[in-house]
Amino acid sequence: MVDLALPGIALFLLLNLLAGMLRVYRGPTLADRMLAALLFSTTTVAVLLILAEWMEQPALRNVALLFVMLASIISLAFVGLPGREDLEDGEQ
Amino acid sequence: MTPTDLITLSLLLAGCGFYLAGTVGLLRFPDVFCRLHALTKADNLGLFLVCSGLAVHSGDWRIVSLLLLIWLVGLLAATVSAHLIARHAHEHEADAPEEENELR
Amino acid sequence: MIGFLLDGLIAAGLVGLAYQAVTSRSLFRGIIHFVVFGLTMALAWARVGAPDLAMAEAAIGAGLTGALMLVAYRRLVEDRRDAPVDPGPAKSRLALPIAIGSGLLVGVIGLSALFSDVEPGQAGQAVLADLQQVDLGNPITGVLLLYRGIDTLLEVAVLLTAFLAARALAGSESGTGSPTTQGPETPMVGALLAVVIPLTVLVSVHLLRAGSYEPGGAFQAGAVLAGAGVLLILSGRIAAAETAGLLVRMGLLAGLVSFILIGLTPLLHGGPLLALPGLWAVYFIETAMMVSIAITLVLLFAGGGGLKRGKHG
Repeated sequence: MVDLALPGIALFLLLNLLAGMLRVYRGPTLADRMLAALLFSTTTVAVLLILAEWMEQPALRNVALLFVMLASIISLAFVGLPGREDLEDGEQ
Repeated sequence: MTPTDLITLSLLLAGCGFYLAGTVGLLRFPDVFCRLHALTKADNLGLFLVCSGLAVHSGDWRIVSLLLLIWLVGLLAATVSAHLIARHAHEHEADAPEEENELR
Repeated sequence: MIGFLLDGLIAAGLVGLAYQAVTSRSLFRGIIHFVVFGLTMALAWARVGAPDLAMAEAAIGAGLTGALMLVAYRRLVEDRRDAPVDPGPAKSRLALPIAIGSGLLVGVIGLSALFSDVEPGQAGQAVLADLQQVDLGNPITGVLLLYRGIDTLLEVAVLLTAFLAARALAGSESGTGSPTTQGPETPMVGALLAVVIPLTVLVSVHLLRAGSYEPGGAFQAGAVLAGAGVLLILSGRIAAAETAGLLVRMGLLAGLVSFILIGLTPLLHGGPLLALPGLWAVYFIETAMMVSIAITLVLLFAGGGGLKRGKHG
């Protein structure tokens, strides 16, 4: 029973992600677009865990662990981006 | 359907509900801090519910502890990421619409 | 049925994300699409039953290259302040025919692969039967080191060459901006590092050890370790130095040198080249390769010839 529901739940989470991508288009700030990437990494972890159970591939749990461990790299790299002021200072 | 299956399914479905709530918040909330708030809180609860659902389903203590570890590390990563993104948004608050700012 | 929908969604998503990553109106959106493409690619590898590749994609695609692009974006914004906006190349009229042509090609190859029932190759069967005797549970590690040793050796050599080439290109001018992204007073980053860095080291050693009986191995372990290094660079704990210390140099060369030396020993008593003398050699070479891969990737990210203690170290 559960094994029948697992792919459906994974599909639901993926559709959820698709909806979340709208935020990348709408923005309006860089941080908003970054949020969508954050949503992706949390949801992908859940999808991987569900796939690990459904496909009986325990190694996929290790992949999920790698994801959560390295998820903060992107955010740390993002913080360094300049906001608008920096650009305007240069343009004047 | 055994009771274990019932618990697993309801936990997974509840997790899906929180993920959906997070996405709705991301799309509908008015500014970046509200969206951040909605997304990180709801999604981490969603991840917890999905993890616990799968843990009940597997019943193997090794898998359960791995799932717990994944959730805890995910919680830490999401917390710090949310903090850093909020910090960036706060520092550059004045330049909300950055359309002209971006490099084409 | 649902599995088919899932695969279709992932496949369509990959194509859409790839298109968006290349054609996005702004660079930043392109980068976000690229990062998300990496995550989706890992899901695709998971669906086709290749967790080894999913691991490598998770560590490199989602972590390292995304951070590299964001850091490059920052440099670009800083550099372009007084440069005129480049409209970019005009669209080629050949774009559509080429896209349709390559799409057809991929479709035809894919369909013919789906509908032809190919006999499983004899070599593959023989290798799998053979690997049973060597006590390596993970056929991928076995093939990489025992059967395609020369390929793996050359891959390690290519990585070293890439690093040397990057050094030669960057020269000493690269030392201007550091990729460190925030001040030392930023709260919570220290706590994150205190948990994540030991965990990455632990997990990479586990992946290395697990590489002999389940998905994992030197490349995945090295990429994860490099992820830890990139975290340390981004948070300013370590920084690029002009020249490498002895330890870094040794680490850079460890994989290649130990592979070559152990690979040469059989020649002394008349064996074939790269015939590894035992399981210990596999473990030894994998460990050395992990260190070399990690150090090379971290140095490539840092854009320096060596590593030193950073501003906030």
